[in-house]
Amino acid sequence: MTRIVVSGLGVVSPYGAGTKTFWEGIAAGACAIRPVTLIETEGFRCRIAAEVPAPVVDGLDASRRRSRADRLALAAAREAVADAHLTAEDRAIAALLVAAVGGGMLEGETWYWEEVRTGRRSPRIKALRSILPSSHAETVGYRLGLGGPKETIIMACASGAASIALGADLIREGVVPLAVVGGVEALTRICFMGFNALKLLDHEPCRPFDRDRRGMSIGEAAAFMVLEEAERCRARGGPIYGEFLGAGMTTDAHHVTAPHPEGEGMIRAMHLALDAAGVPASAIGYVNAHGTGTSQNDRVEALALSRVFGEGSVLVSSTKSMVGHTMAAAGTVEAIATLLALQHGLIPPTANLRQLDPAVPFDCVPGVARPAPVEMALSNSFGFGGQNVSLVFRKG
Amino acid sequence: MSAWSSGKGERRGQRPRVVITGMGTVNACSVGGTDAVAGALAQGRSAIAPVRAFAINGCRSRLAAEVEASALSALLNRDTDRRLSRVCQLTVAACRLAAADAKIAGGPHLGIVVGSELGDLRSSEEFVAAFLRRGPAALSPLIFPNTVMNTMAAAAAIALDARAASVTINQATIAGDLAVLRAAALVAGGYARVVLAGGVDELCAPVYRHLAELGALSPMQGGGTEGCRPYAPDHNGPVLGEGATFVVLEERESAGARGATIYAEVKRGVWGNIPTPPHTAQHFRVDIHSPVRRFLAALAPGVPSRSYGSGNGDPGVDDWEMALFDRDLPEASRRSGFMPPLSLAPLFGQHGGLGVLRVAAAALDAARGMGPVLVHGIARGGCRTALLVGSPG
Repeated sequence: MTRIVVSGLGVVSPYGAGTKTFWEGIAAGACAIRPVTLIETEGFRCRIAAEVPAPVVDGLDASRRRSRADRLALAAAREAVADAHLTAEDRAIAALLVAAVGGGMLEGETWYWEEVRTGRRSPRIKALRSILPSSHAETVGYRLGLGGPKETIIMACASGAASIALGADLIREGVVPLAVVGGVEALTRICFMGFNALKLLDHEPCRPFDRDRRGMSIGEAAAFMVLEEAERCRARGGPIYGEFLGAGMTTDAHHVTAPHPEGEGMIRAMHLALDAAGVPASAIGYVNAHGTGTSQNDRVEALALSRVFGEGSVLVSSTKSMVGHTMAAAGTVEAIATLLALQHGLIPPTANLRQLDPAVPFDCVPGVARPAPVEMALSNSFGFGGQNVSLVFRKG
Repeated sequence: MSAWSSGKGERRGQRPRVVITGMGTVNACSVGGTDAVAGALAQGRSAIAPVRAFAINGCRSRLAAEVEASALSALLNRDTDRRLSRVCQLTVAACRLAAADAKIAGGPHLGIVVGSELGDLRSSEEFVAAFLRRGPAALSPLIFPNTVMNTMAAAAAIALDARAASVTINQATIAGDLAVLRAAALVAGGYARVVLAGGVDELCAPVYRHLAELGALSPMQGGGTEGCRPYAPDHNGPVLGEGATFVVLEERESAGARGATIYAEVKRGVWGNIPTPPHTAQHFRVDIHSPVRRFLAALAPGVPSRSYGSGNGDPGVDDWEMALFDRDLPEASRRSGFMPPLSLAPLFGQHGGLGVLRVAAAALDAARGMGPVLVHGIARGGCRTALLVGSPG
C-alpha cells in the first residue's frame, strides 16, 4: 500500500492569507463571523457571514481581472505548492483536484443584477466566462503549470474533503506521485439568499452543538494541500505535516437537503474511512466535526459519532464556529485544521458554545483550545444530496 | 494491458477489471437502453434543427439538438419526478434506463458519477429572477438546492437508491469522458462495485442566448453557415445539444458472476492537463509530461482500430486535437486510416452526455468484434482524456 503524506498547505480564510494566520485564528478560538459587506443583505433575517477581509483580497498575488473565487483559489494553491517546495518538474506531473460549488457566480450575479435593474446590456457579460466551477481548476492549473489529471469536483459541502480522497486515490493507483487538492468558495448572493430561504442561518454567529443553536453561518475561503507519496517526499526532503490514512465516501440517497435521520450514510462513511485507514475507532482521539450549527445536522452527527466511537470517547470540535461554513472549501479547511491540531497537539475549540446540547454526548471543547497529544484524527464533511465524506489522518 | 489501470501503467496489486454492462440514454436522437444507442448510431441521422423550445429572436445562432418533451415525460414517474428540475429529470430517466438495461439494483454498492458542462443554470436563473422581481419573500427553498451542481447526482441517487460514492464533475466539452474515467477509478479503487457513469446537460433560453452572444456557438465569428462541422475546413463553432447518457461500469468478476451481458471492457484510461490560459485552445501547447501523451505513444501497431474524438466544430478544439494526434500517435497508428477521428457532435450536439455517447459507441464497436477503440478528448483550458475500450476477451 502506498503511504501518502501531506507536504504542503495553503489557506486564505476570513482571518487573512496564509496557513499560519489561519492556525493562529482557530487556536485562539477567534470568531471571524461579522456583518456582510460584500453583497446587499436588506430584507434578510441573517445579515452576517465570515468574509475574507477586503484588504486581504486586494493584497493577493492574483490579477484583479479574475473572479474573487479564482483569486482566492490561486493564492491558496500557490502557498501550498511553495510550502511543499515543489519544483517546476514536480508541478508538471502533479494532479489537480479542485472542489467548487459557486464558481465565479459572484461576478455573474453582479452582471445579472445590473442588466435586470437597468434594463440595458452590461459589458460585464464577460464575467459569464468564469461563472462555472471548472474555472478555478483552469486558472490554478495554468498559473502553476500543473500537468497531471485535472478535475473539478462538486459534492456540495463535502466537495473539499472529496478532493482529498479522490486525489489520494490517484496516488494510490499510481497515476501520479503527487496531487494538489483543495477547495474554494467565495460568498455569492445565491448561496446567501438560498440558505436564508431554507431558514438555516442564525442571525448571530453560529453555535454548533449548543443547546440553543439556531443555524449556521456562511463563510468563504480557499484551502489547498499537496498530497505526495511518502517515500518520494522523504527522498526529496519535503516537509511532512501528517499522513493521510484513508477515506470513506457514501451517499444517503434519502433527501436532497436533509441528512438521513439515523445518520446511516455518515456512519458508513466513518466506518469505511477507518477500514481504509486500517485503524480501529478507538485509535481516533479527535474528530473535526461537520458541525454546522443547524439543529438537524448536529443532532444526527452526534448520533452517528456515538454509534461509531461510543459516547464521550473522542474530543469533538467545529471549525465552522469560527470561520463559518465555507461550503466547497470547508472539507479542505477542516482537514488542514485537523492536521495542524495533530501537529501542535492542540485541539481548536468550538467557539460560541455555551450550553452543550444534552443530545451531544461529547466534549466539544467549548471556547478555548485544549492541549491534547492526539496521534490520529478524523474529519467529517457532509453535504446537500446526502453526500458524506470522512477522512483519517495521522500525526506526521 | 488487460485492466483499467494507471497513467503510468504501474498497477499496484491486482485491481479489478472494469467492464460496461448497460447503457441508458435520453438524447435528441433516441431514448432507451443499449438498443436505442446502437440504433441512433446506426441510423446516423442528425437531430440538429432550428430551436423549437424557446424563442431565439435576435440571436445569431438558431440551431440545437433538442430532446422531445413527450419523449422525456413518458419516462417520468408522476409521483416522484414531478418536482424535479428538467435536467434532473433527464438524469433520473437515463439512469433508470441504464440500470434496467444492465439489470442492476440499488444499495450501498452502487455509485454515481455525473459529468456536466453547465449544471442546472435554469434553476439558478429562476431563483434569482424571482428575488429581483419580488424580493426575499419570493425566494424558493425548493429551487435553491438545484443551484448546486450535484443536484442531478443527488436526484438520481435517491431515485435508484445508490448509496456508494456519488461524484459530480464540471468540465467543458469532455465532461462525459471524465465521468467515465472517474467512475472506472471508483470501481478499481473499491469505492463502489457498480457505478452509473454519465453526462447530462439541458438547453435553456438564457444559457443559449448568452453563449451565442459570447461567440461560443456556431457561427462563432459571425461568419459562414451555421452548423456543426467537426474537423472540416469551414468549421465555425459547436451546436448545442442536450440529454443524458449513462453507462454501467462494474467489476468484471461480479458482472460475470451475476450473468450480466458484458459489452466491452475499459482497458485503460488516462487523463491530464495541458497548462493553458482558461477558456482558450492553443494548438501549439503540448503536454510534455502528460500521461495521455505517454499512453498514445505506447500504442501497439494497429491499435486503435477506430478513434472517436471530441471535435465539435469549435475550430480551437478541432485543430488542437488534430495537432495532438499528429504529434503523439505512433506513425503506424496515424497511417491506419482513422484520421480525423469520428465525431458524434453532428448527430447529438455538444452537451455533457456526448462523451459518454462516444464511450458507448466504442463499447458497441468492441462488442461487434472490432479491435480496441480509442476515445480521445481535449477541451478549452487544457483538460485531456483518453480511454481504450475493447472486447473483454
